[in-house]
Amino acid sequence: MSESEAERNPPAWAEEMLRLLLKPEDRETVSGDLLEEYRVSIVPSRGRARADVWYVRQVMGFVWRSAWMWGVLLAASIIGRDALDWWLSPTSDFYARSLVSTTLAVVLFACAGALTAWRSRSIRSGVFAGIATGLIAGVLVNMGSLVMLAIRHDPHTMAMIKASGGLDEAFSLPFFVTLPGIVCATVGAVAARTLSYVVRSRAAQ
Amino acid sequence: MADTLGAFEQAVLLALLRLGDDAYGRAIMKDVQERLEREVAAGAVHATLERLQRKALITSRLGSGTPVRAGRARRYYRIQPSGIRALNDAREAVDALWHGFRWPLQKARSHS
Repeated sequence: MSESEAERNPPAWAEEMLRLLLKPEDRETVSGDLLEEYRVSIVPSRGRARADVWYVRQVMGFVWRSAWMWGVLLAASIIGRDALDWWLSPTSDFYARSLVSTTLAVVLFACAGALTAWRSRSIRSGVFAGIATGLIAGVLVNMGSLVMLAIRHDPHTMAMIKASGGLDEAFSLPFFVTLPGIVCATVGAVAARTLSYVVRSRAAQ
Repeated sequence: MADTLGAFEQAVLLALLRLGDDAYGRAIMKDVQERLEREVAAGAVHATLERLQRKALITSRLGSGTPVRAGRARRYYRIQPSGIRALNDAREAVDALWHGFRWPLQKARSHS
């Protein structure tokens, strides 16, 4: 390993993202492990560009572990709702269904924000968990919608899809949900941090 | 046997045994990669170490940093007697499953 390789740094944004997701007591040690591996093994064997890809992939692994459960649950709720609207029980009155699916999404985003903020003791990481949850759910819902369309695309199904908002909405809504989802995750994160502060203050008394 | 270890947990615990006093995050990851003959994610190793620590099968302490890791501390892990017991239980469970078979397995006789 040359001197310059030993001083190479991975993408700063990826390192910041990693530190955001870790508990305070793990920030130095885990980011240090990855930096050491990056400098000692990966850059010399793969070169700078591929080493950066390796580093980002490792960080994405941490992102996935922090939010996959919430993303999958949110995706399942949206795909379930689509299956209901398109196939199982088409309706023209969407009020009750919208109320249930919106409430579910709010709860899932808030939980993602709250639990991540509680674990990492950082509101910013809770906000980030909201973004990750929305993006994971968006990708999964789009894949699910494509599978559903591949299975059934007869004129009746297409009419039901159109009546429930159309294909545009089916594919774009999961990503648009991320914006209000970030707000919900932030509220959850702030609540978790406040609760943690109160619990610690009481324990100290 | 209260809680059977998964294959990855066993790989991590065995890495701790092999590495002894040098068992810190990156070294454990490299050892597991070598034994499993595939690339493993740092996140998977970290999550497993955290889980094993929660189960009180291992303990950890902070060590000093080195220039190559920008002075960031290393966390060294050590296996506990409960971890050794869990590994023995896991091995016993596998041996019990294999009891009566000779390894490597021969092609199964066809039913006629």
